Amino acid sequence: MEEKFEPKIIAFLCKWCSSAGSDLAGVSRMKYPPNVVPITVMCSGSISPNYILSAFKDGADGVLVSGCHPGDCHYIKGNYYARRRITLVKELLEFIGIEPERFQMSWVSAAEGAKYTEIIKDFVKELEPLGPQNKLRSNL
Amino acid sequence: MVKLDDIKKECKSILEEGKVKYIVGYKRNNNYYMSIPAFIEKIEETDQLIWDPTCVYNLVRFLRDEKLRKERQKTPDTRPIGVIVKGCDSRAINVLLQEKFIKRENVYIIGVACEKSGVIEKKKLRKKFNEKNIKQIEFGKDNNFIITTEKGKTTISAEEILAERCIECNNNTPVIYDVLLGEKVERSLSEHFRSLEKFESISTEEKWNFWKKELDKCIRCYACRSVCPMCYCDECIADSISLAVKPDTTAEEKAQKIRWVEKSPVSSENFSYHLIRALHLAGRCIDCGECERVCPVDIPLRYLNKKMEKEASEQFGYTAGLDPEKPALVSDFKDDDPQDFII
Amino acid sequence: MQMILSKMNFSSWLKKLNSYRIFAPVKSGEVWSYELVEKPENIILDYPNTIIPPKKVLFPQREVLLEFESSSEQEIKLKEVIPEETPSVIFGIRSCDASGLAKLEKIFKGGFEDLYFSKRKNQTILVGLACNIPPSPDCFCTSVGGSPYSKDGLDILMTDMGDEYYVESVTEEGEKLIESAIGLFNDPEENVKKELEKIHLESEKKIKRYIKDIDKISSKLPEIFETEFWDKESLSCILCGICTYSCPVCHCFDINDEVICTFPLKGKRVRTWDNCQFPDFTMHSSGHNPRPDKASRLRQRIMHKFNYFNENCMELLCTGCGRCISKCPVGIDIVEVLEKVRVYEK
Ligand code: SF4
Ligand code: SF4
Ligand code: SF4
Ligand code: FES
Repeated sequence: MEEKFEPKIIAFLCKWCSSAGSDLAGVSRMKYPPNVVPITVMCSGSISPNYILSAFKDGADGVLVSGCHPGDCHYIKGNYYARRRITLVKELLEFIGIEPERFQMSWVSAAEGAKYTEIIKDFVKELEPLGPQNKLRSNL
Repeated sequence: MVKLDDIKKECKSILEEGKVKYIVGYKRNNNYYMSIPAFIEKIEETDQLIWDPTCVYNLVRFLRDEKLRKERQKTPDTRPIGVIVKGCDSRAINVLLQEKFIKRENVYIIGVACEKSGVIEKKKLRKKFNEKNIKQIEFGKDNNFIITTEKGKTTISAEEILAERCIECNNNTPVIYDVLLGEKVERSLSEHFRSLEKFESISTEEKWNFWKKELDKCIRCYACRSVCPMCYCDECIADSISLAVKPDTTAEEKAQKIRWVEKSPVSSENFSYHLIRALHLAGRCIDCGECERVCPVDIPLRYLNKKMEKEASEQFGYTAGLDPEKPALVSDFKDDDPQDFII
Repeated sequence: MQMILSKMNFSSWLKKLNSYRIFAPVKSGEVWSYELVEKPENIILDYPNTIIPPKKVLFPQREVLLEFESSSEQEIKLKEVIPEETPSVIFGIRSCDASGLAKLEKIFKGGFEDLYFSKRKNQTILVGLACNIPPSPDCFCTSVGGSPYSKDGLDILMTDMGDEYYVESVTEEGEKLIESAIGLFNDPEENVKKELEKIHLESEKKIKRYIKDIDKISSKLPEIFETEFWDKESLSCILCGICTYSCPVCHCFDINDEVICTFPLKGKRVRTWDNCQFPDFTMHSSGHNPRPDKASRLRQRIMHKFNYFNENCMELLCTGCGRCISKCPVGIDIVEVLEKVRVYEK
């Protein structure tokens, strides 16, 4: 039998909201697919496009960037800056022919464990039909 | 059309008054129909200056060299340098001012309006003429170009060889200058983002195939980066050291440095380089077209930057290089920036 | 061995060479480059010149030297990666580029033998094509010891005679390549030989660029080392890699470790082209850069080509292909720079 494709997701989560949200999902024993490797960063505003590209280069099938809801950023404005920057990254990736489903952004607060699990579930579902991401994968 | 004599007159007078250290303008390449950058120090050298449709260079690029030169000199001549700029080039100055890379008093800006014309695109020219036979290209009447070959003169309508970026340009008059030559005329030859239209109707796979074929050609000569007035970083992620080593950089700092892009010209590294470059130029690129012009393997780099320009304009109402006092595209936000894509 | 090959038979010859990998100029868009050809019958030898010279076949822009992998904490396994090259033929090499490869051979197989280069070189047969018309208005091979029909570095030289090629073998390997399909070739008649001579002499006259007193320039260079000359000449240089990467004899490289995985450690030691015009080329780890500006970098390029190499190897490190002139984005012209050196007075 052919092995089922298990997409690998790299999730950049801000420490104050999204990462706390994912913790909540964990301690509340909510079920979600184990396909995600979370990386906690201080703020969504600290995520450089380099991080995103290098995740794809190292074999991520999908990348998620998640921060606090607008107005809730621990550093007041970080997520607003992120929103602009990530828009540009997203547009550029689509422009060069990367499937739009592969790169997503979300707002997840510390209380939204359930939302986090939904996002991951949907993300995995969307990635499955696409198969592995080889376009940007390192060919060194 | 701007008269060459007016440019020469202006240059002579500022050199005479000692207002500037030297002037960066255009002169003729002795063996070729193209212009080349000219560095004019003496009054009599102003006779070398030219102004024609081959003045493609964005001379603002050379402000960076001047800055580095001054940093190395013990007692530098602090007078400004003069620079001849077209509409697009002038916006590059605004970006450098906005980023505080240069000071306004470092530069004396001689703005030249393109009016209803612009500069040529070699790729278009090559389709119509054997480059070897071309002797000279001049501005003609009614925005035509006059091309002199061994066989004589031919007039050709501007759109046929005018650079695509000129066709799409809506800043044909410099936006910042000390003196403006030529007239401020409104023109809109075409849709501002017309070159991107062809990407709108193609599929994700087609887009990928296009870019894969193009970027795989890249030999990483970095001419695109070297020629760009905005690519002035001491520390470029694409360099093998990838950090600006200063005498006080510690061994630890050197060791901790991440290598984002390897020097190897393989697909993944070429994509990293070009994607990061496009992102770093978002809201900064002023579409002078230089990177695309210099690429020895004809990669259509302009589309990447144009795409960023389009998104900046349509989603955030931002155009690069219009106002040095305003915050840059990515150092700013509005509460109601679009966020439909965010879950 | 001197033979005539009708153009109609050219592709049959190529087909006979099916035990070789065949490289030839291939056009993509407007850009020509030497590529491995799948269907040799499609080769077109009517081409100007490639952007990147054939050095890229023998000295690729990226080359894995060795692979490393840590199997345990104490042990790192190293595996040398020496190219196992199958016999190859490069078709359509211009004389300038062939002499470039001969110069590269002096460098990579001189005092120290670079196995990576020499393994490939030993397995590669070079078939040249004389330039009846100089492919570029910037050609100046005749000023630097070459000619549009020079056989230096080649195994075979072909000359286009209209409907046929005049095929001369230069080395034994070349002879064998012709003999492997000898039925396709004819002996040249006396008048064709005369015709060939005429074509060659005329081709030489068509070269437009010329460097006067190259020997004097060569020895004058050290005298003007410390002058302002270089500041002036380099003003418009943007320090890109075009002139050196496109040069058939520039051969500087960088070596980096490309780490694929940090734990357990795994990666490759890789050699890539590098060049003296890049600002980080001479950067010391202290942060000091002995060639800090454009002037010193242009000077290095000229000095290396026309003085240092001349002193070490008694020849110039330039073949006159004109690529650095045609391709320089700001019109820096090596022939003009040398002429200015010639007339420069302190
Ligand atoms: S100029 Fe062209 S070949 Fe050179 S680095 Fe830029 S894209 Fe690559
Ligand atoms: S990215 Fe290209 S078009 Fe934009 S400013 Fe730089 S050189 Fe000019
Ligand atoms: S001389 Fe020309 S090609 Fe060479 S580095 Fe300078 S600008 Fe680039
Ligand atoms: S801290 Fe969560 S987005 Fe800034």
